[in-house]
Amino acid sequence: MRPKLINRLLLAPAGIWFLAMLVLPLAVVLVFSFGERGQSGGYVPAFTFAQYLNLPARWKAFENTLTLAPVGTLIVLLIAYPLAYFLALRANPKWRTLLLILVIVPFWTSILIRSYAWIFILGGRGIPALLDMLGLHNLRLINTPFAVLVGIVYGYLPLMVFPIFVSLERLDKRLLEASADLGSPPWRSFLQITLPLSLPGMATGCMLVFILLMGEFLIPAMLGGGKVFFVGNALVDLFLQSRNWAFGSAVAVALVVVMLVTVTIYMRAMTRWGNGRDDVSLM
Amino acid sequence: MSDTPDHISPQKFMAELMRYRKGSVSRRHFLGVTGLGMATTVLGSAMPGLITRPAFAAGSIGDSVVLATWPNYHDPASFEAFTAATGAAVQVNVFGSNEEMLAKLQAGGSGWDVFVPTNYTITTYVEEGIIDPLDMSKLPNYDAASFDPRFAGPGTVDGKLYAASKNWGTTGMAVNTSQTNGRVLTSWKDFWDITKAEFSGRTTVHDYQLTTIGNALKSFGYSFNSIDPAELADAEKLLIEVKPHLFAITSDYQPPMRSGDAWLAMCWTGDGKQLNKDIPEISYILGKEGGEIWSDFYAIPKSAPHLDAAYALINFLLDPAINYKEAMFHGQPVADARVDAMMSAEIMADPIIHPAAELLSNLEFGAAATLTDPNRAEVMARFKSA
Amino acid sequence: MRIYAAAVYLFLYIPIGIIALFSFSAGRNASEFAGFSLKWYGIALHNPFVVEALRTSFTVAASSAILAAVFGTMAALALQGMTGRIKVLFDALIYIAVMIPGIVIGISTLIAIVTVFGWLNPLIAAVWPWDGPAPQLAMGLGSLIAAHTLFNMALVIIIVRARIAGMDRSFTEASADLYATPFGTFRQITLPLILPGILAGFLLSFTFSFDDFIIAFFVAGANTTLPIYVFSSIRRGVTPEINAIGTMVLTLSLILLVTAQGFLQRKRKG
Repeated sequence: MRPKLINRLLLAPAGIWFLAMLVLPLAVVLVFSFGERGQSGGYVPAFTFAQYLNLPARWKAFENTLTLAPVGTLIVLLIAYPLAYFLALRANPKWRTLLLILVIVPFWTSILIRSYAWIFILGGRGIPALLDMLGLHNLRLINTPFAVLVGIVYGYLPLMVFPIFVSLERLDKRLLEASADLGSPPWRSFLQITLPLSLPGMATGCMLVFILLMGEFLIPAMLGGGKVFFVGNALVDLFLQSRNWAFGSAVAVALVVVMLVTVTIYMRAMTRWGNGRDDVSLM
Repeated sequence: MSDTPDHISPQKFMAELMRYRKGSVSRRHFLGVTGLGMATTVLGSAMPGLITRPAFAAGSIGDSVVLATWPNYHDPASFEAFTAATGAAVQVNVFGSNEEMLAKLQAGGSGWDVFVPTNYTITTYVEEGIIDPLDMSKLPNYDAASFDPRFAGPGTVDGKLYAASKNWGTTGMAVNTSQTNGRVLTSWKDFWDITKAEFSGRTTVHDYQLTTIGNALKSFGYSFNSIDPAELADAEKLLIEVKPHLFAITSDYQPPMRSGDAWLAMCWTGDGKQLNKDIPEISYILGKEGGEIWSDFYAIPKSAPHLDAAYALINFLLDPAINYKEAMFHGQPVADARVDAMMSAEIMADPIIHPAAELLSNLEFGAAATLTDPNRAEVMARFKSA
Repeated sequence: MRIYAAAVYLFLYIPIGIIALFSFSAGRNASEFAGFSLKWYGIALHNPFVVEALRTSFTVAASSAILAAVFGTMAALALQGMTGRIKVLFDALIYIAVMIPGIVIGISTLIAIVTVFGWLNPLIAAVWPWDGPAPQLAMGLGSLIAAHTLFNMALVIIIVRARIAGMDRSFTEASADLYATPFGTFRQITLPLILPGILAGFLLSFTFSFDDFIIAFFVAGANTTLPIYVFSSIRRGVTPEINAIGTMVLTLSLILLVTAQGFLQRKRKG
């Protein structure tokens, strides 16, 4: 049949690309993860589970990632939500587009340069110097998990503001008016109408930020001073310092598995919860 | 093609070709400030022929050369002079450990023309087939007889010169004495002890296994180069214990030492000299248990894309007059007697640059085994991810 | 509420303001302001490596965005209305391509390329029929464009499929009823309807590729993209040159955004 042939031809380039640039590299990583480190680094073919058995040596990096990624996502959500709410429901419509653009603009400078600005702000001559004048001495901000969290919020805020803004903007404002007419106080309208309806936006935003945080490397590298280690940093170290491709591959496989599991659980929970809410609103 | 008049008009003021190139950019500079220059520049250079590059006479070495080196290790003025003399601009990439350089070269496609390995790594580079012997006819400024064999020797493997001596130096500690309340640090044991106590959150160590593990080993009295599992375990325990008290794990510690964020740093000679020159309260100390003495080299990877430019750059930097200026800038001692002869008596007697012989006799050169030993690499990685 | 929003905007813009402010510093050190000067803009634009890095970034971003837009749209069209194993397979691949962290993509692509080229190069040398050394396959622009195209293609497929799903089927059905050829229907009905999706996918791809550091860090070989240049400059000790580059990129982006916004609004009115 002709349409089938055309479909195959249309799919061919993308298929080949996925095969060569995704399936093949991941297969290589999987194979290497059962190998051994070469004498002066690299990889020697073997079949051993030694690399996987050695994974606990990077437990701390996984622990950091699995705490700072959800915590970071939550903080980004808490800061982004009121802003998205303001933009969608409170801001003067005349200025709304401009204000939205202003949220994206910082996103257009390299994350490297933006993080560099924070090295200065959080470093000894920045905020600590100001606090010193106010009598708070010897405060250290840079190279702490706090600094990494600031960098995370700064880097990922727009990613969270946008989906929430979109879902709030779609909200039918007559619902809020009706609720107010029925004598419901604003906080109740918010809890019963606005918040549930913005849930899909929140879910999308959280997922975007969480996925990116799980593989984060740059922000901890720049603002953590080599002390706040994510799995991404452990991986870079294994390939660019220890030259242990076999163990590095095992860590990469573990990271991917952890991510797939957490994201799948998260998506399941979100769908289930979302369905639950639908039932409630139907009643 | 419309660029041609712009290229020619400012040229009249300038005799040198390099100036000519700079002149051509003034229009783009103006546009750059308005924000449009980026686009013009990129579009222009994406279409060959739109922006003509200055052509050099026969014997040209090309217009660029890529150098991989260590932090704070060169005078930017030397590169400007090199570019003015040859037309080749120098791109500098900075690395904080030999492991990182080796990893980049092993993975292939580093794009480097010249890099700066340390004494104990050269045999590995030769075994791995990463570097070729140097063609001495292209390095007339290298006078083997004038180099101190203690420092220049490791550049020769199997009777062939693979790497030309750059500098030598020591690994000690830089301490901001205005913060010590009169306490004087003399040993690596002091270094780790004060970090765990009064200096908590104020110390930096190298992002480099050789020195960070080595100086932890020294505080127990073990060899700087030990690969003994039990001794490494002691060092690892100490490092992990100290980690929460560190300011950072970095080989580029001058910025935090200068800003006052850090008070104590594991430090190389030149950085110690540079810090001490600008901030006299920062002094440079060698651990009394010993520690590292090292020598660095210039080498050319087999894969160097600009071979002629690589030789030209090394030869330029080995010119005793240039080498002297470099040393005055970065404060690392030189193994070349011709350069020492130019130095003032004051510098030859400087305790940071040229420590007393009895202090040096305590120090160890890095050993090749530490570069390839999987345990040392893993101890360092565990320490960093702890 | 308004005060809160103002505070968030301050948080967003203070670092950028600091970057811009220090780009006008006359001093050498990026953390001390030493008098107003434009000299770092001149130095940045004189610097052949900055220009080269910009050119590389532009080439890579444009090539991978075009490849992704074309192949991604083709795949999205083919997957429309498709069922069965191939569709499930593609859905899974797209999901994985978007999910997997950039760092894993970068590292796995690096070791796959090094390994495959390690096998191929001796093979090519063995069968090389001409005099002189055989060409060596190496990482470079090609591998970087290929790696970016993977992620970008998944992005385009997702966006264009969403657009197709939101499309009113009655148009294409009417067109077929009126005996238009499938290609005619595509050109006159489908393409105009999905074009905004393709353009959005193209722009997002371009932005991702232009800004990507992690993947490029591993697979760019000897090439330097702008983010790689910035990264190595930060390690080298920062001069206000980096601030000048950042400010210029930001200014250019602003001009592009405002122009695009202007175009969109003019279209809406007209």
